[in-house]
Amino acid sequence: MANFKETLLNPILKGNPITVLVLGICSSLAVTVQLKGACVMALSVIAVTGLSSLVVSLLRNTIPNRVRIIVQLVVVAMMVILVDQVLKAFAYAVDKQLSVYIGLIITNCIVMGRIEAFALGSKPIPSLIDGLANGLGYGLILIIVAFFRELLGSGTLFGFQVLPAGYVPNNFVILPPFALILLGCIIWAHRAFDKELQEK
Amino acid sequence: MEYVNIFVRSIFVDNMIFAYFLGMCSYLAVSKNVKTANGLGLAVIFVLLCTLPLNYLLNKFVLQPGALSWLGESFADVDLSFLSFIIFIAVIAAFVQLVEMIVEKFLPSLYSSLGIFLPLIAVNCAILGGSLFMQQKDFANVGESAVYALGSGIGWYLAIVCLAAIREKLSYSNVPAPLKGTGITFITVGLMGIAFMIFMGIQL
Amino acid sequence: MNTNSNVYTVIYTTVIVVVVAAVLAFAASSLKPLQTANIKAETLSQMMTAAGLGDSESFSSMGNDAVLATYSENIAEAIVVNARGEQIGVLKTDKDHIELIDNFKPENKAITEGGEPRLPVYKFKSGVTVIPVFGAGLWGPIWGYIALEKDLKTICGAYFDHSGETPGLGAKIKDEPSFKAQFNGKVLNLQNTKNPFDIVKGGAPEGSIDKVDAISGATMTCNGLDKAIDTWVGAYAAYLQSAAPAIQEAEVAQTVEE
Repeated sequence: MANFKETLLNPILKGNPITVLVLGICSSLAVTVQLKGACVMALSVIAVTGLSSLVVSLLRNTIPNRVRIIVQLVVVAMMVILVDQVLKAFAYAVDKQLSVYIGLIITNCIVMGRIEAFALGSKPIPSLIDGLANGLGYGLILIIVAFFRELLGSGTLFGFQVLPAGYVPNNFVILPPFALILLGCIIWAHRAFDKELQEK
Repeated sequence: MEYVNIFVRSIFVDNMIFAYFLGMCSYLAVSKNVKTANGLGLAVIFVLLCTLPLNYLLNKFVLQPGALSWLGESFADVDLSFLSFIIFIAVIAAFVQLVEMIVEKFLPSLYSSLGIFLPLIAVNCAILGGSLFMQQKDFANVGESAVYALGSGIGWYLAIVCLAAIREKLSYSNVPAPLKGTGITFITVGLMGIAFMIFMGIQL
Repeated sequence: MNTNSNVYTVIYTTVIVVVVAAVLAFAASSLKPLQTANIKAETLSQMMTAAGLGDSESFSSMGNDAVLATYSENIAEAIVVNARGEQIGVLKTDKDHIELIDNFKPENKAITEGGEPRLPVYKFKSGVTVIPVFGAGLWGPIWGYIALEKDLKTICGAYFDHSGETPGLGAKIKDEPSFKAQFNGKVLNLQNTKNPFDIVKGGAPEGSIDKVDAISGATMTCNGLDKAIDTWVGAYAAYLQSAAPAIQEAEVAQTVEE
């Protein structure tokens, strides 16, 4: 049981895919202008990492080594298309806002990284948990970034006015470079807190 | 004129890195020195330039709603657009594999300098992103999509070589310990992004 | 079993591809009705936003069914005309069978290449008539809806959308309320079918009635929009001119009766 807990918690704190392993930045930052989009993106990534880790783990003993990467990509792409189709049917407005970034989950290094590093050599249940946990770790950072960007950039949270009406929205916060700087600061805080993670 | 416009815009205004954050993973991982950055950048330009027009043709003649009408009237209503992600990524993965084999066999010297980056490129978001943006932007012909591919690739190349140059200098500076490595790199990229934003008002 | 033999690899990949294709085809076809309903509701919301029946945010929060219901309550009739102004069809407007022409690409081709375009005209009960426009922006298609007063040449509302213009520049045709507000009260110059309306870079002259200001920094998008309006309004000109007096006469007759 202790093992499960570790599989679950490690990717969220000590081995966070974004701040520690620096994976999956690609599709993450552009969707963090608003909290709503970030939450949907986080849920989609959690679903994709969890399910594709599970499926690959179930298939792990049958996959021919030579076509390994392509088979994994096909499994991931299938999950992403399913997520995209479901979003188009049930959350059309959000899907439009996320546009190509849903498709880009396929090349999100977290998904492929976890499949290669964990799911190919582990039983289905731990793989599922590992996938979900990594998705969670990714989603957590996404939501922190989106929280600050929406609060400072529009004065709202989830579309509701939070800051007093006199607040002048800071347009710079909405622009792409700010997301990078904010992420740099989150990494700074994380590593100041946990000295083991500091680079030499 | 249209070509020049697309070319300049895709390099500077809609830069893959600074405007869309595409290909960030390998961008951050392989930008420690200029030489390797150069290799990866060139490989990205090459792969983009080859896969994007191919995907354009696939999109136009197979995937778009009604794209199969050249097969006959009864195919006019077929809409395969839900398959586009899987087809695009399959084309990219297959192409990367192919290039790797060819380069290894015929150009061993190029392979040793570039080869290690090729497998990385299959999962580089900039490549798939290029194809997805191409689908969204709805280019008029193959030429435009090829120019867009070239521009995006050069934009990416420029970004990674610049960052690598800065990081080489940065390794001699005294950065606060928790910010070392990844942290300061993110902030550097952010500042570079701000610099690139002066191109936003560009008029052609 | 040898998982590295050629035969095994080929069979394995085939099976995977077939299974994946089957799963996806099933998912796509079973979710298709919901997706088309979403697209239809979105088209209607944009049209009704132009017609001044609400704003896009309130429509998107009210749900698909309510959007369809609002449309069918407020629409008087929806017809299809050709480029010579003759009516060639009717679009159904009752809530469960709403018909729309929302794929503008083939119609646009028909207009520019002298074919036989099917041009939808949506007449609302409030007296407002909405026509669509469509064209190419810098990065992809742009489209929108223009709402006209009873005289069929004074603009009383507009809504534009795009698929991928640069955020903060070209995307302002959708996001900048003041850009759309400029259109209110302007008049289409229907005599000039080549250029009935202008979006002017550097500011429209004071007091001009058929010109609005372009968005600075978004020249290509605005040129595209200008061309889209010119092309489509040009195609509608015959209908708008022939239908306008008829409506006015009908009104005069009505006033006399009262």
